[in-house]
Amino acid sequence: MNILVVAEMQLGKLKPSNRASIRMAQDLAKKDGDSFSMVLLGHQLGDAANELNRFGAKKLFVIDAPEFEHYLAKPLTDAVSNLAREHGFDRIVGCEATTARDFFPRLAGALDAGMCRGVSALCEVNGETCYQRAVFSGMALRTERIHTPIHVMTVDPTTMDDPTEGGAGEVVAFDAGVTVGDEIRFVELRRAKSERPDLSVADRVVGAGRGIKSAEYLETIGALADKLGAAVGATRAVVDAGWLPNEFQVGQTGKAIAPKLYFAIGISGAVQHAAGIRGAKTIVAINKDAEAPIFKIADIGIVADLFDVVPQLIEGL
Amino acid sequence: MKVLVTVKPVADPNTPPAAWIAEQEGKGGSVNDVANYFDLIAVEQAIRLKDIGVTDICIVSVTDDSKMAQVRSAIAMGANRATLIDPEGKQLGAYQLAASIAHVVKKEEPAFVLMGKQATDDDASQVGPLLAGMLGWPQATFVSEIGFNDDRSRVTVGRETDEGVEVLDVKLPAIITCDLRLNEPRYATLPNLIKSKKAPMERLKFTDLGIEDKPRVTVEAYSLPPGRSGKAKMVADTAELLTTLKDMKLVD
Ligand SMILES: Cc1cc2nc3c(=O)[nH]c(=O)nc-3n(C[C@H](O)[C@H](O)[C@H](O)COP(=O)(O)OP(=O)(O)OC[C@H]3O[C@@H](n4cnc5c(N)ncnc54)[C@H](O)[C@@H]3O)c2cc1C
Ligand SMILES: Nc1ncnc2c1ncn2[C@@H]1O[C@H](COP(=O)(O)O)[C@@H](O)[C@H]1O
Repeated sequence: MNILVVAEMQLGKLKPSNRASIRMAQDLAKKDGDSFSMVLLGHQLGDAANELNRFGAKKLFVIDAPEFEHYLAKPLTDAVSNLAREHGFDRIVGCEATTARDFFPRLAGALDAGMCRGVSALCEVNGETCYQRAVFSGMALRTERIHTPIHVMTVDPTTMDDPTEGGAGEVVAFDAGVTVGDEIRFVELRRAKSERPDLSVADRVVGAGRGIKSAEYLETIGALADKLGAAVGATRAVVDAGWLPNEFQVGQTGKAIAPKLYFAIGISGAVQHAAGIRGAKTIVAINKDAEAPIFKIADIGIVADLFDVVPQLIEGL
Repeated sequence: MKVLVTVKPVADPNTPPAAWIAEQEGKGGSVNDVANYFDLIAVEQAIRLKDIGVTDICIVSVTDDSKMAQVRSAIAMGANRATLIDPEGKQLGAYQLAASIAHVVKKEEPAFVLMGKQATDDDASQVGPLLAGMLGWPQATFVSEIGFNDDRSRVTVGRETDEGVEVLDVKLPAIITCDLRLNEPRYATLPNLIKSKKAPMERLKFTDLGIEDKPRVTVEAYSLPPGRSGKAKMVADTAELLTTLKDMKLVD
């Protein structure tokens, strides 16, 4: 096996979910006593390559080109497939982010490979390594087997342990030789500024649901988050109401998160929301309806009016 | 302008997971099918684009006759016709689905293809980008805003990404996959459901398309995720909540 981790940048930094891909590569390598390599793509990478190069990879390919300043599916597909062909990589591992979700299927197509998205664990079936992933809004797990010589996968960061530290690999600049045509042009990224921790990787998250009744109450939710050093997340209902931008949405069609502590405040606990918080260590539910489904997945629950409880929490913390 | 919209019949997302698994494993279990919600958003979008020059909306579905009702309900929203590809009892993988749809795209030469961003049963999110790669077309996935330029040669889309809304300017023809906030799909009315029975329907068979017939990825097993305890410790008031959190060392 010849394993390649595709590491990505996000807003000038290494994407936190790269860690899950590296761990998956380490686990795959261990199974067969193999090594793994990595590729880092982007532009003006600064110290990112050094930061990435401490997990025992054999080689770290660096593709640093203006074409990769903004994420675009086709040039990334071309670059990674060129690298994989040239160096005979047959396991391509990426992170479960909106970037890899976008270009990995295209990459799999280019390499005539089967792909599994959002792999949460490796398992063995009749001596063959298979991949387990969540399906049906996270309500079921499915074991899949890839039959092509090359396997392509993205990894669910909420289920993976941290990668183990290791030595630095040989750094190799790779000329991907790709060009960006006028088929697609990047126009802009509309992004809400936030001083709080990144929702995808925060240890603590305060989740707000429709029960908060208005956008104004987000200020109080934010005050609780700041007391806890937490990120703010939300249900689709809150995002649809326009109270928060979409990148705050947690769930099947939003972010999957795995904080140590999750507060579900005025959240009913619909399956699509629950799908995003499966990996949370402790879920605290605050809801005035004792029958709300959130209490079936919560670890700690309080049946009460959130407009009473939240200010008291801020006060008491 | 001609537009293709893909529609996949899927199990109702409210099906209990154990029943869904039983049905997937062929061990019985009754499961209601619905049209994949993201695909209905795609159909709705195509209908809304009739104002700016879309004249022909063709639904494409890889499915057998038993799921015709879901395809009909999509047509009845306001599509003109459909092309069905019968998998002939085969379990098809993402590659074969994309290749089947590509066959129809090459024949129809639409201005663009609208799809759902993912199927809510497989949660694969693969068919759109695979199809784009096969056709050598640009792709715009997770789209929640669409606007066309004056000569309809390009489209400006807003994509929902981890970092925020990314705006791209894309040359047509392209593959566009739809996210939740693009629109709210309309319901098909009863008269339109009746009318949809007369909509032209072309039927193809998967084995006639010359696509490799072994899936690249197969399903080996299903299981239920390790449940959460299901027994929340209920506290009486905020004071008890705070002491519980402190005792569990979750807050200082
Ligand atoms: C295809 C599809 C994908 C979806 N993806 C997602 C997703 O990714 N993420 C997501 O979140 N949703 C998603 N949804 C929507 C999901 O089904 C629910 O509609 C949504 O999660 C509900 O949000 P909510 O809990 O905020 O609102 P509600 O369900 O309205 O719940 C509000 C809760 O607040 C409680 N409440 C009200 N007032 C108070 C008070 N004063 N004090 C305490 N409690 C109070 C109520 O008892 C209730 O339980 C998706 C839906 C579909 C169809
Ligand atoms: N059997 C099918 N027939 C028609 N379209 C499909 C089929 N399977 C998937 N698609 C389309 O591809 C999208 C993504 O599906 P998936 O990659 O399986 O998550 C769906 O939203 C559909 O629009």
